[in-house]
Amino acid sequence: MSKLQIITKGILKDNPTFVLILGMCPTLGVTSSAINGMGMGVATMAVLIMSNIVISLIKSLIPDKVRIPAFIVVIASFVTIIEMLMQAYLPSLYSALGVFIPLIVVNCIILGRAEAFASKNGVVDSALDGIGIGLGFTLSLTVIGAVREILGAGSIFGFTFADGVMPLLFILAPGGFLVLGYLMVLFNKVAKR
Amino acid sequence: MKSSLKNMVIALFVITAVSALLVALVNDVTKGAIELSQQQTKDAAKYKVLGVTSEEAVVLSDTTRLIGDFAITVSTVANRADNTIVGYAVEAPSITKSGYADRITLMVGFKEQDGEAVVNLVEVLSQKETPGLGANMTKSGNSLERSVVGKSASQLKFSVSKEGGSFDALTGSTISSRAYANAVETAYAGYLWAIGGLDTSDEALEAAPTGASMPYENVTSEPEAQKGEQDNE
Repeated sequence: MSKLQIITKGILKDNPTFVLILGMCPTLGVTSSAINGMGMGVATMAVLIMSNIVISLIKSLIPDKVRIPAFIVVIASFVTIIEMLMQAYLPSLYSALGVFIPLIVVNCIILGRAEAFASKNGVVDSALDGIGIGLGFTLSLTVIGAVREILGAGSIFGFTFADGVMPLLFILAPGGFLVLGYLMVLFNKVAKR
Repeated sequence: MKSSLKNMVIALFVITAVSALLVALVNDVTKGAIELSQQQTKDAAKYKVLGVTSEEAVVLSDTTRLIGDFAITVSTVANRADNTIVGYAVEAPSITKSGYADRITLMVGFKEQDGEAVVNLVEVLSQKETPGLGANMTKSGNSLERSVVGKSASQLKFSVSKEGGSFDALTGSTISSRAYANAVETAYAGYLWAIGGLDTSDEALEAAPTGASMPYENVTSEPEAQKGEQDNE
């Protein structure tokens, strides 16, 4: 597999949201607007790249049977450290992305890629896989968030274009399921061609 | 690597020990900086809710009153030039009503006009409400903020409008809005206490409308949320 393919497969063939159906909890939870979806995606991508690198570096030192708890401890410590550093030295970034950070610890995409890719591949490929899957996740969440925001609030990235009563349903949880479902159908129909 | 009891124990021990050490180390290094940046945010909010800058005005005094586990801090802000009091910035949590996820903390600026305490501006210091719904309370010019800014605090009814209160709830976020109203009420009580308009004896505060004697109501159970209303938040 070429380096470029590792990246593009994360966006299309192995799209975490629409194809692998991983990380549904943050996907449904934070995509009430486009900017929230994007924030979550970017924060996840940053953690994913780093955790993939660390896991691929230490994979040969971890006995097979305890690899999952080992990965979880590594990822959780990692996210906690990033959160503390961000809160201390980048408070403005933290106020924008801070709410998403604790959610990333329990995001199964991170553990899923550690297990399915980083524990079997080299450092460079693992980092590229993190970029690809991270981009796929960011794009998917941004699209879901944008659709929900347009339909439910009449705005896009915070810019209101339709004032008045919009179907609030799309911002609420049921709308999240609806939009995710329809986008999933659409994505897979287009991707299969 | 092939697993044996020995290498599994060693690997897990080493990983957890190293992780704990790193987290503790980073915590130690960043603790001061985090507190500093939180303090700076708070200080900036004190001036912001009164519509002045830190060049124009100065905080004369900070007084904190504890009600149960909750702290209400009243900061007196005065003009640097002539030392006249600009107003009071009150940091207060929602006490009897929790938000959807957690309590919310507000900084409320009160200015005195014709012997009335007028709400100048409200700044949300901490909240964990749902992004896109309750979290909209942090946006400037939201319906909750519009409900109180420029109003005389003594005229406000501290509940959401569909319950006969003065606060226009955020769309789909009645529970968050109730918590917001409650925090403003707490702030007003703190202000009254600071200027001496409220009996400051403990007995009086216990009976105060902020619900000082029942601070844990609604912490674990949220009766409002279980009535099957349409409120999502």
